[in-house]
Amino acid sequence: MNTVKQLSRGRFLLDRGASLPLLLPATLLVLVFLVGPFGYMAYTAMTDLSYANPDQNGAFIGLDNFRQLVRNDPVFWDSFWLTIRFVVASVTVEFALGFALAWLIWRFIERQRLLTTLLLVPMMLAPVAVGLIWRLLLQGDFGMVSYYLRAVGLLSQQSAVFSTPYLVMPTIIAIDVWQWTPFVTLIILAGLMSLPKAPFEAATMDGAGPWRQFIDIMLPLLRPIIALVLLLRGIDAFKEFDKVFILTGGGPGTVSELLSIYAYRVNFKNWNLGYGATVAFMVYLVVLILCSIFYKAVYWKSPVGKV
Amino acid sequence: MNKSWKILAIGILACVLVIALTPYLWILLTSFKGRLDILSPDPRWFFTPTFSNYPEVFLGKDYLPLVLNSLIISISSTVLSIGIGVPAAYVFARTDFAGKEDLFFFFLTTRMAPPISIAVPLFMFFTALGLTDTIYAVVIAHTSFNLSLVVWMMRGFFAEIPREIDEAAMMDGRSKLGAFVRVVVPMAAPGMAATAVLCFILSWNEFLYAFILVAFEGRPLTVGIPGLITPHGTLWGQVAAVAVVATLPILVFTFLVQKHLVRGLTFGAVKG
Amino acid sequence: MGVSFREVTKKFPDGTRALDRLNLEFDQGEFIVLLGPSGSGKTTACRLLAGLETSSEGRIEINGKDITHLPPRMRGIGMVFQNYALYSHKSVFENIAYPLRIRKVGKADIESRVGAIADLLQIGNYLHRKPAQLSGGQAQRVAVARALVWEPTICVMDEPLSNLDALLRLHMRTELSRLYRRLGKTFVFVTHDQEEAMTLATRIAVLRDGKLVQFDEPRTIYREPANRFVAEFMGRPAMNTIEGIVRDGIFRAGDIACPVDRPEGPVTLGIRPEQVELVQAGSEDAITLAVDVRELIEPDTLLIFQTGAGALTVRTQKNCDHIEVGQPVGLRFPREALHYFDASTGERLR
Repeated sequence: MNTVKQLSRGRFLLDRGASLPLLLPATLLVLVFLVGPFGYMAYTAMTDLSYANPDQNGAFIGLDNFRQLVRNDPVFWDSFWLTIRFVVASVTVEFALGFALAWLIWRFIERQRLLTTLLLVPMMLAPVAVGLIWRLLLQGDFGMVSYYLRAVGLLSQQSAVFSTPYLVMPTIIAIDVWQWTPFVTLIILAGLMSLPKAPFEAATMDGAGPWRQFIDIMLPLLRPIIALVLLLRGIDAFKEFDKVFILTGGGPGTVSELLSIYAYRVNFKNWNLGYGATVAFMVYLVVLILCSIFYKAVYWKSPVGKV
Repeated sequence: MNKSWKILAIGILACVLVIALTPYLWILLTSFKGRLDILSPDPRWFFTPTFSNYPEVFLGKDYLPLVLNSLIISISSTVLSIGIGVPAAYVFARTDFAGKEDLFFFFLTTRMAPPISIAVPLFMFFTALGLTDTIYAVVIAHTSFNLSLVVWMMRGFFAEIPREIDEAAMMDGRSKLGAFVRVVVPMAAPGMAATAVLCFILSWNEFLYAFILVAFEGRPLTVGIPGLITPHGTLWGQVAAVAVVATLPILVFTFLVQKHLVRGLTFGAVKG
Repeated sequence: MGVSFREVTKKFPDGTRALDRLNLEFDQGEFIVLLGPSGSGKTTACRLLAGLETSSEGRIEINGKDITHLPPRMRGIGMVFQNYALYSHKSVFENIAYPLRIRKVGKADIESRVGAIADLLQIGNYLHRKPAQLSGGQAQRVAVARALVWEPTICVMDEPLSNLDALLRLHMRTELSRLYRRLGKTFVFVTHDQEEAMTLATRIAVLRDGKLVQFDEPRTIYREPANRFVAEFMGRPAMNTIEGIVRDGIFRAGDIACPVDRPEGPVTLGIRPEQVELVQAGSEDAITLAVDVRELIEPDTLLIFQTGAGALTVRTQKNCDHIEVGQPVGLRFPREALHYFDASTGERLR
């Protein structure tokens, strides 16, 4: 038998400080293509840059844009409150429906795989396609859903949903509910499936009926997951763009002009990039706040725990 | 008693399923309808199918290259974000260093940021570099936002592989890097596949970045969709055909990764 | 008056038969231990009594009343779970108070009752803590307090000590013994640990494959095991059982030959390790064997021999420092210490 060749040190050069070269590309990419541009945006927000007006060639104007936005831009504030209402309404309905569905599936269905897979369809479609599908379905003259809405008397004969201002936002919310309720269902269902049996058996022995068990045991145990779902959906709804852009483009007028759409209009329709950067910055700020809540409150207390 | 509740529950779920699926079914049907069937005021569920919408839009209107663009963008951004993100995730899972959790959170914020606030500066940035209207711009944009998803998901998968595996590989004579490449990565392969598929889906479905960064050359399928809609005389059969091509591969993929979907959608916070 | 299982069978959906026509009857105020290896049905029996499972066939009665289909909360049974099953989101106080809140006990009454049981179990100082901040032993006490605070008539415990480390387990065992004597309630205690069973029980029910094998006082179970299974299960190290044949009043198996009072034919001989006597090698009536392994378990010594009919373990209090491995030693089996089991069924022979 030959002796086993002993390994030399040379092969292990990478051992020391091996983590830096592994981590660097990712960090660099994010720094260059996300943080860099973001910093550039923060700077642009403090200029009067506009491609539409040759006089505004990017002079530094400090915080004038922010002052203008906060004090003298009713369109921004309308858009802001519209977005908040949209987020609250759609997330609330999605959560209530999604939780109920998840509970039904968890309680009554043994073979869930196919059912949940099919339920996922709306949320996996490209949001642009969702906008497109519903635009066709709600088309005034030959839309399939319009037809049935008229048939049951929910829509008057000559009108179309998207040309009736007071119907626009409720419809968009309904479409968002159609698209994202499965998300809530899927995640709550995962939470329900991972619930330990023991606390419920203990509660049974302590004399608690089904309702008490739901309130006293199940809801508290699901709290991290519920918070997670609400935050993720909240952040996503706040960023809503694609669907609404295809469905209404923010109209009629500014009836459905959510913040993202408003930011888009200022930047790429009016080409007012300085002011547009300010709007985009504000949108980012709100999401960043929601995001830190997500991280602090949810992630480390999640069922996965600290990795 | 229990039985009738169950029947009621199944009934409700069946209704929900119908509501969830009918719109998609309708667009599928529409893509095979002729103009008259589409424009009929009362919905036509049964009709003589036509297969002309697909060739008309993909060949006649030259939408085929858009499919190719979508593929190139999704595949290359997926490969890039996996290639760059997986090693980073491994470091997050295995080593401790000052500011680790802050850096980790920083990756999350890039994913959570509203596309509109990143797309605006990115547009300015790429304009300065002369990269707007090229496929590279979209690939880079998609890579940077998918990167954080990879880092977050893969950290969880790596954390599930016991450290002893690395240590055993090192005792067997592998270097630290060798242990990662030859032992840990193969063990994490299923999770990595799921992550890759999810990246592909997100990139394929993405609209806003691509819409802002490329106007014509190199635009993916999602960006081609609004161009088909005109205030009057939209050719819905063709629109539907594009929509079906833009969504069907994703649905197939969804079935493949369903097991890890919950995890991907919650950034690893919930195991499916 | 007491608790009785009558012909109770439990089949699970996957087809396993956890209990097979179990008959068991005991009085109120007893400390009953359900003992058996894993898969013997002991936990199932305890969960059936608690009402967490429903029996497939047969009846369970408490004080003559059929409770087979009664929901758990109407049975008057408190339960301690193996992993404690504390409510992680509630404080210790709220955990203990929960059964009282369900029963709509007044606020002041809850305070005094929780206080009293907490004092009894020495957890008064932890009432404001969350379960995650408790040690294993403390969590165990909280679980016991929660099960007893509302004064159930029966307290069921499913392997409550198995998650504790060895020293704490001994300590809690003593505590439970004291608690039982003080409260005088009926305790039903599930374990796979024969030592726990021996020390705690007024009577032990030994289960195997869903059937009751023997139900007796600990002493009887140890001294007169009903069959070879019980004999080997009780006592550590386990009883030596040697399969052999009796001819001319002499039992023979491998290198072993010893005089017995048995008729001719095959029989399984049993003798506890501590009852084998060490004698001079080669002396009359002695079996001479070479020491294979010597283990010191102070203050005793274990000597293990290979007999040609399996290993033989001897536990002795004698000083064995001079005995080397390989050295021949004389062994004697006292007649009064011998157990005989049927060679084919394993049943005890009188």
